Amino acid sequence: MIKLFFTIATRYLLKNKLYSFINIFGLAIGVASFILIMLYVDYERSYDKFEGSQHVYRVYMDYLEGNSFVPGDAQTYNLSGPTLKREFPGVLDYVRFYYIEKATFVLGDRIFEQPMGSMADASYFNVFGYPLLKGNHKTALSEPNTIVLSQTLAKKLFGDQNPMQKTVTVVLDGDEVVLTVTGLMKDIPKNVHFRNNYLISYATENTWDFFDEAQTKLNFNMNNYYTYLKIDENANIASLKDKIINSDFDEDEEERHNIEPIEDIHLYSDKPYEVSVNGSATRIKFLSAIAFIILILSWLNYINLSTTKSLERAKETGIRKVVGAHRWQLVLQSIMESTLLNTIAIMVGIIASFMLLPIYNSLTENKLEINLSSFTSLFPIFGFIFLGMFLAGLYPAFLLGDYKATKALKGEVRTSSKGVLIRKGLIVTQFLATIILIIGTMVVTKQIHFLQNQPIGAELNQIVALKGEIVTNKSDSLLSNDYKLLADELKDLPFVENITFAQTYPGDSFDNLGSSRGITLPNGVQNLSTVYYVYDVQPEYFELLDIPFVVGNTFLPNDSGDSNQIAVNETFVKEMGFNSPEELIGRKLKFWGNNEWVVTGVFKDYHHFGLKDKVLPLLVKHQRDVNNLLVKLDPTATSTAGFTTAIDQIQNKWNQIFTKSTFNYAFLDKKFEAHYKEDKTFGKAFQVFTVLAILIASLGLFGLSSYTCVQRRKEIGIRKVNGASITQILKLLNIDFIKWVGLAFIVAVPIAWYVMNKWLEGFAYKTAMSWWIFAFAGISALAVAILTVSWQSFQAAITNPVDALKDQ
Amino acid sequence: MLLELKNIFKWVNSGGQRVFLLKDINLKVDEGDFISIMGPSGSGKSTLLNVMGMLDGFNEGEYNFLEQSVHTLKEKKRATLYKEYIGFVFQSYHLLDELTVQENLEMPLLYKKFKGSERKAMVADMLDRFNIVGKKDLFPAQLSGGQQQLVGVARALIANPKLILADEPTGNLNSNQSEEIMQLFQQLNKEGVTIIQVTHSEKNAQYGKRIIQLLDGRMV
Ligand SMILES: Nc1ncnc2c1ncn2[C@@H]1O[C@H](COP(=O)(O)OP(=O)(O)O)[C@@H](O)[C@H]1O
Ligand SMILES: [Mg+2]
Repeated sequence: MIKLFFTIATRYLLKNKLYSFINIFGLAIGVASFILIMLYVDYERSYDKFEGSQHVYRVYMDYLEGNSFVPGDAQTYNLSGPTLKREFPGVLDYVRFYYIEKATFVLGDRIFEQPMGSMADASYFNVFGYPLLKGNHKTALSEPNTIVLSQTLAKKLFGDQNPMQKTVTVVLDGDEVVLTVTGLMKDIPKNVHFRNNYLISYATENTWDFFDEAQTKLNFNMNNYYTYLKIDENANIASLKDKIINSDFDEDEEERHNIEPIEDIHLYSDKPYEVSVNGSATRIKFLSAIAFIILILSWLNYINLSTTKSLERAKETGIRKVVGAHRWQLVLQSIMESTLLNTIAIMVGIIASFMLLPIYNSLTENKLEINLSSFTSLFPIFGFIFLGMFLAGLYPAFLLGDYKATKALKGEVRTSSKGVLIRKGLIVTQFLATIILIIGTMVVTKQIHFLQNQPIGAELNQIVALKGEIVTNKSDSLLSNDYKLLADELKDLPFVENITFAQTYPGDSFDNLGSSRGITLPNGVQNLSTVYYVYDVQPEYFELLDIPFVVGNTFLPNDSGDSNQIAVNETFVKEMGFNSPEELIGRKLKFWGNNEWVVTGVFKDYHHFGLKDKVLPLLVKHQRDVNNLLVKLDPTATSTAGFTTAIDQIQNKWNQIFTKSTFNYAFLDKKFEAHYKEDKTFGKAFQVFTVLAILIASLGLFGLSSYTCVQRRKEIGIRKVNGASITQILKLLNIDFIKWVGLAFIVAVPIAWYVMNKWLEGFAYKTAMSWWIFAFAGISALAVAILTVSWQSFQAAITNPVDALKDQ
Repeated sequence: MLLELKNIFKWVNSGGQRVFLLKDINLKVDEGDFISIMGPSGSGKSTLLNVMGMLDGFNEGEYNFLEQSVHTLKEKKRATLYKEYIGFVFQSYHLLDELTVQENLEMPLLYKKFKGSERKAMVADMLDRFNIVGKKDLFPAQLSGGQQQLVGVARALIANPKLILADEPTGNLNSNQSEEIMQLFQQLNKEGVTIIQVTHSEKNAQYGKRIIQLLDGRMV
């Protein structure tokens, strides 16, 4: 019998091609979207999982802001780790990292820059469960001047040779060190927030000129180290955290140590000086919600369509009943059909998600892949999908069994008013979700547009930052002379408009930027609590970047090119408690010991940290020898030849002066945009899935409207015979749908408003949720509804009533 | 003259062949006529009625209604003509189940630009005339077949049509109820309403002033 049912089901699906297609299509979209989103969500949640990772915590600093502590710095002191281990038995071990963003590797004639590596304590392999392929995990990092390489880096350096005991020179800011390879580790997976390509033993600090005494001496002054703790699995984390928070080893009331699980860092941490750009739990929550909404929408859709269809099949059901089919047999057959259809849909959905993955990846700039492990991790998801589909198949099945045979035969079936209510509820829910998604997409898009068009407070276009590592025996001052020579040569290039030296620039965020606390103001007040940020530039910096001064002006160096001058931003003036910027001009600031700087100007606030974060107090110091170049290109001169040739010519000059060196450049505007790249991606994903949700919802509506038209066939006929025009019939049929969309709209607006408000809270600068967003969402949902419904209504309205009203 | 059918042919194409539903129908109906159409099942009675009621078209011939040639009229004009002059009564009543008696009566008026107050008056008048005031708030399912058909006739009459087309109006009724409807028709006819009815019953046919016999779509 099962086999017979199966045959019937197959035939039925083949016969009703449009119905089958719409159904399979809708479900497959739901399944594919769900899988794609869940792949991403799973990936984002898979960060920093390794053997024992649940017992590893990162130490970070909280800073006092007003009356409460806020996360202030992801980096800690070199004393933090040792002290915590000594004081708390629950802390089994610690490992400190001094992060090296970019170092230059020299091997014979070869010289190249290698991003992302660290100085690390020998305890690294005890705390982190990443396996060592070669070398002893206890001793690999215990001696000075040793290095552990990742497989990729080892291959890059030594090819297929055994890297062990080989030596390589590493250069940082001109300071060289020769290192012996004592270990080979697997490449750190992508889903790790701290991805080291190499580890240099911590003890190397003492032999490498790059580190000075002030840095290497154990202290609670310079927080440049990431510290991770391995905690006893029996320790009470809450009380340990409490004890750490309330301890005060560094005798500084304004800050405190704190800990967080390493597994939470990627999604929940967004502190200053993060080692890498992290993900966002909010985004993950939003995307998960969208995934579930789409999947549920596609199920609702299926229920809608199949009940519609079962109505059309009422006569068939009636005949079956008359010839003696049991109710359960009808139900079973219906479930067979839905299982068949859903299985096909899931297959299509899975295949589609595989095929769409590259497109999805390029659209959202992800690098997701489906491999065996991601596939098995998706098993619960598949289970969930199957269960949902089975349940979705039940409702129409039981509905079918319910029809009275005699009535069904006469074509007089109508579902109970409860059934109608359920279907209306389904449609309202679908539209509710759709409207919320439309509003959400629009708010996200508007916010990104807002960010992109927000004045940065500086002109970043056509400015290139040049940086490189120079391998040379020259002294610092001689090297600076070379830089100045280069600057002069570059100025002579026809397309170079202006040039300056600066340690960092707007949008570079916390990179290359010093943070500090403790300053003596001109009025004698000592401020110990406000965190401020400092970097060095040369006088032309402000002009080159178009950063205007509110009062005062840029630096005026003396004849030898030196000065002790400084400029501050408006936020600094405000946060330090001055009423007007004038109060600072020509007066002295004292910080970093007894060093004094004279304020020559207060410049307008600009967004150094991107637009997601608020403006922080900035001090911009004059410095004679800064070696990072900012070059402003002439847009007209470069537009013809293109930027690449311009960069090529610049690199030529660079290589002429620095014969043994690496060369790096970055366009400032691109770098600034990178701050909200993730949000842009999110916005795109949001858009795509909203369109899919709309598509699914309109399929559902299409189903329901065809159902309504079938059910109201007789009524339409009667009304037409009694003189109703086509327009009047259309109005009659459409008004209900419009009411439902209206109802959905009323419910959707406050929900969407609340949810999107929450999302916007993640931005320091946010766009307004204008009324027209809501209006547009409502109107477009209505338009989609009317268009979908009208096609069917129109068919119904133009049918000759004679056909509908034939007497038996 | 109310309407005139001249050499009306109607056919459908089935399997590449013409199947004739109506063949060479010629019929003149004067105002005040009462015609009964008879014939075996499938002989084309309903088809003919629908053609006269403008619910259905035809393939050949001429149809004039009140001096206007229906076959050349635009859809809109035809709809106006239909709305103003024709009322339909069906074998299975075709009342709207979701509407009360009163609302069913009011329904055609909604499509004919009557004011609210006028509609109320007209509905009240009909309820009165058919003695169903007491049933005005009931739903069709709560009425007997005879009562339902009474409402059906009342609804056909409510906008004062000149012509009532009734397709086996008593087909679902018992003899008492049939009798009642037939007498109602006779009464209406006396008041000047033209009536064309399809019937299987010899007795009911006798209420008509003329009887037309159909066989295989042809008048005999
Ligand atoms: N639209 C149509 N297409 C094909 N055949 C039709 C159509 N309408 C009616 N018929 C056929 O025409 C014949 C006459 O139908 P009808 O007028 O309903 O007969 P009656 O009312 O006399 O029983 C029947 O055989 C019917 O099947
Ligand atoms: Mg008939």
